[in-house]
Amino acid sequence: MDISSFLDGLSIAVQPINILWIILGGFLGTIVGMLPGLGPATAVAVLIPVTFGMNPVSAIILMAAIYYGAMYGGSRSSILLNTPGDGSAIAATFDGYPMAKKGQAGEALAISAVASFIGGLMAVVGFIFLAEPLANFALKFGPAEYFLLMLLTLSAIVALSIGRMIKGFLAMMVGLALSTVGIDTQTGVYRFTMGIPHLSEGIDFLIVIIGVYAIGEVLYNFLNIDKQKKEKKKVGKVWFSKEQWKRSKWPILRSGPLGFIIGVLPGAGGSIASMISYTSEKQISKRTEEFGEGAVEGLAAPESSNNAASVGAMIPLLTMGIPGSGTTAVMLGALIMLGLRPGPLLFEQQPETAWALINSMFIGNLALVIINIAMVGLLVKILDTPAKVLYPIIVLLAFIGTYTLSYSVIDFFLLLIFGLFGLMMKVMDIPIAPLVLALIVGTDMEQNFRMAVLSSNGSLGVFFSSGVSIGLVILTMLSLCYPLILKLAKRKKNMSEDEDQVYKSS
Amino acid sequence: MKTLKLLMPAGLTIFSIVFLFASLNLPKANLGNPYGPIYFPLGLSIFMLIFSVIFFIQELKKLHETNTDIKLMLSGRTPKLILFTIAAGLVYAFLFEPLGFLYSTMIFLGALLFFINGPKKWLVNIIVTVSFSFISWYAFSQLLGVSLP
Amino acid sequence: MRKLAFVSLLILTFVIAGCSGNASGTQEYPKKNIEIVAPASPGGGWDLTARSLEKVLTDEKLVKENINVVNKPGGGGEVGWKYLKSKDAHTLAVNSSLVLTNNLLGQSELTYKQFTPIATLATEWQALAVPADSKYKSATEFMEAVKKDPSKVKIGVGPGLGNDDHLSIVQAASEYDINPSKLNFLVYQGGGDVVTALLGGHVDAVTTSLSEVKDQHLAGKLRILAVSSDKPVEGLEDVPTWKEEGIDLVFPHWRGIMGPPDMTEEEIAYWDKKLSKMVETEQWKKVLENNDWEGFYKNSEETKKFMKEQHDLYQRLVKESGLVK
Repeated sequence: MDISSFLDGLSIAVQPINILWIILGGFLGTIVGMLPGLGPATAVAVLIPVTFGMNPVSAIILMAAIYYGAMYGGSRSSILLNTPGDGSAIAATFDGYPMAKKGQAGEALAISAVASFIGGLMAVVGFIFLAEPLANFALKFGPAEYFLLMLLTLSAIVALSIGRMIKGFLAMMVGLALSTVGIDTQTGVYRFTMGIPHLSEGIDFLIVIIGVYAIGEVLYNFLNIDKQKKEKKKVGKVWFSKEQWKRSKWPILRSGPLGFIIGVLPGAGGSIASMISYTSEKQISKRTEEFGEGAVEGLAAPESSNNAASVGAMIPLLTMGIPGSGTTAVMLGALIMLGLRPGPLLFEQQPETAWALINSMFIGNLALVIINIAMVGLLVKILDTPAKVLYPIIVLLAFIGTYTLSYSVIDFFLLLIFGLFGLMMKVMDIPIAPLVLALIVGTDMEQNFRMAVLSSNGSLGVFFSSGVSIGLVILTMLSLCYPLILKLAKRKKNMSEDEDQVYKSS
Repeated sequence: MKTLKLLMPAGLTIFSIVFLFASLNLPKANLGNPYGPIYFPLGLSIFMLIFSVIFFIQELKKLHETNTDIKLMLSGRTPKLILFTIAAGLVYAFLFEPLGFLYSTMIFLGALLFFINGPKKWLVNIIVTVSFSFISWYAFSQLLGVSLP
Repeated sequence: MRKLAFVSLLILTFVIAGCSGNASGTQEYPKKNIEIVAPASPGGGWDLTARSLEKVLTDEKLVKENINVVNKPGGGGEVGWKYLKSKDAHTLAVNSSLVLTNNLLGQSELTYKQFTPIATLATEWQALAVPADSKYKSATEFMEAVKKDPSKVKIGVGPGLGNDDHLSIVQAASEYDINPSKLNFLVYQGGGDVVTALLGGHVDAVTTSLSEVKDQHLAGKLRILAVSSDKPVEGLEDVPTWKEEGIDLVFPHWRGIMGPPDMTEEEIAYWDKKLSKMVETEQWKKVLENNDWEGFYKNSEETKKFMKEQHDLYQRLVKESGLVK
């Protein structure tokens, strides 16, 4: 990196107007991220007309601020209402919601903001020093490696359902089955679209998230709606304790770089990053049994990771002009409209633009952690709203969020079907995360598998042909065997150290 | 009532079988391997069928245990609430485009509030309905520029 | 509290009354607000085309009425165009070759004949690119290798078969006496993924829009072997056209705009007048430049003829590609 462009960039980023955009974008992103179904991609997309009149540098700063603002916001509703706003906030429900139920909502919100901040900060530093080599590393990921990465993600989440493995696998398979709906990319064949043109592009995983989480959760809460006590729920303090910090410190520091690297891979993104961080923390923790019951590190780790991933996703966008996620794809489209073309020439021709953005990420993360901590007191008030008023509002927001996905009421029917399905899953104690994540990665997994086999003329050896792929195979085996090993031997500590090393060496 | 536990595993089993036949009936690809689009769903449906059957047997073995959630789901006004919410959602879907966002939303939210929160709190219900419909309309269509009907 | 509820109800009534009270005089077309349908989600190519149209037509004061962009994504344009079909002449929709291919591929009942052609606005060109260290130095060398053994050469394409990226290379192959259905395609989910795959050396060549690979070519990260334009592209004079490589092929990836069925001559003339002015404005030229598009304006009459030609061409290409039997 070169110092003078770094400083040029800094001076652009601290212009009052740009700081204003950062704060505005971060705030807006946080709000939008909280609403079910409204993720960063939608938020950036609907703002495109607004950015038309702006100068391109401010526009990219604004859009990036919305992006990571939504990463902060997405977990707010995961923690408070058990309804993630986006795929990358799913992991925050695992321990965040139990914490809120235990009366630690305030602590949970605070630690997640701080974890996001640290993760984001580490990623920005990583961006400055490692953008180029990491972009090149990401290029090594061919179809075989992508397939294995998806497989690792799935095995990691299924392994989470210890004690109800059959149900976990079933949920995953239903998710995979749903992911096959739509045009088959390799051959152009229409699969299971039932003649509805709307389905040709597949079932949007966000509808399923909103359905099974938001609607499903509301319906599930009807079970106890008249028995809920009138007394005020405890929301705890608005800051976390020293003990909680001590437990979260290392998980946050480990998950940041992990999330950052996964974020750099085009197509992987926050959902996979947060899930892998969560499971790896769970597996190396001394308190494995507390995970899922409100373990503070189980919330801190994925939060650090998904925010770092959102920064990582900017690397392929800026260095190669290749969008690595839905959100960055929308950003790319908008930037091109403004005459700014991210890509290999950006750092050469307009270094100050690139560096202004990178510097704005520092400021943005700082602004966001302040905004989010300031909002803790306000947000926990949501829990004070009488449930009988809150639930209808959540249902309405779920419908509106769904409509913004593709402006079609057909999605309302899907939403209701998945809402009922989510209720049944909760009643039957079937884990929901495998369903949603399988749907998110399913299409890519199948297509990459077929591309890998096609490109090696039918040989399966392609899955063992590179260092990266062998490392991924080993990790997958480990995460699948882990529950078994756990049963056989209680010598967790030794185990976890081995695994940590495998992680690093991959 | 206890057999209700079997509803989900049975449903999943039927889904797997339907999915299996649907996979077998998928059109063959004209380009490349003609069976390319079929392998994955077909294999998946077979595994899904096996796991559904295991799930079914598991639940069958535990038939005597009571699932408190199912009991709760069928007691009090819970079944009515669930059905009403679903029905209201369906009506909303049909009214959304003909009536436009603002009217249909007020009907939908109002109906839910009156049913869930009870008609006794009518004032709160009306205030929340009107203000919330209006705020969400303003926020989405005016501030965010989402094209609402 | 009670007062508040009453007041908000009152305000609401006014607002609703205000919305529905649309003055309907007897003036000429357009009588009310114009709607431009982008048959895709916000942020995509069609959406950006629609929004650019909205902006330029409004900013240059060419159209006095309000213009709204409506997103109707789904089915590769199908959902949006079906919507257009049910509307009156105040609704227009952005289109591209998908309006032809959806039907030719048997994916849609809609045909281009059911709509009123308004204009063709812009085009992009298609590029064939290989890694910087590829053994193929020219397009003819590449085609020769493919001819020898089509299964040996992996060609990346995205996001689906039957699009212009795919069909442009089908046409090139068929001009070179290669059976296009024998080509070995790896289909990626998006245009960006195709470029990553090429840079990472996971495919031997890619066919994609020129804009996706232009900067990479200039930075020396990959090499464009041929473009589908009729003359060399500005800024890329070192890249030959297919014609210069001896293969008779000019392949535009055009974008246009069309209206619902049965528009009157007066209504069509209105848009001919407005759009022919619009394409001359500086602002529109800036839009073209930013997007790496080229002006490709054809008025309604020319577009009608052009669509017919394109339809016949695509009919042949789809058949040759082997996608339909």
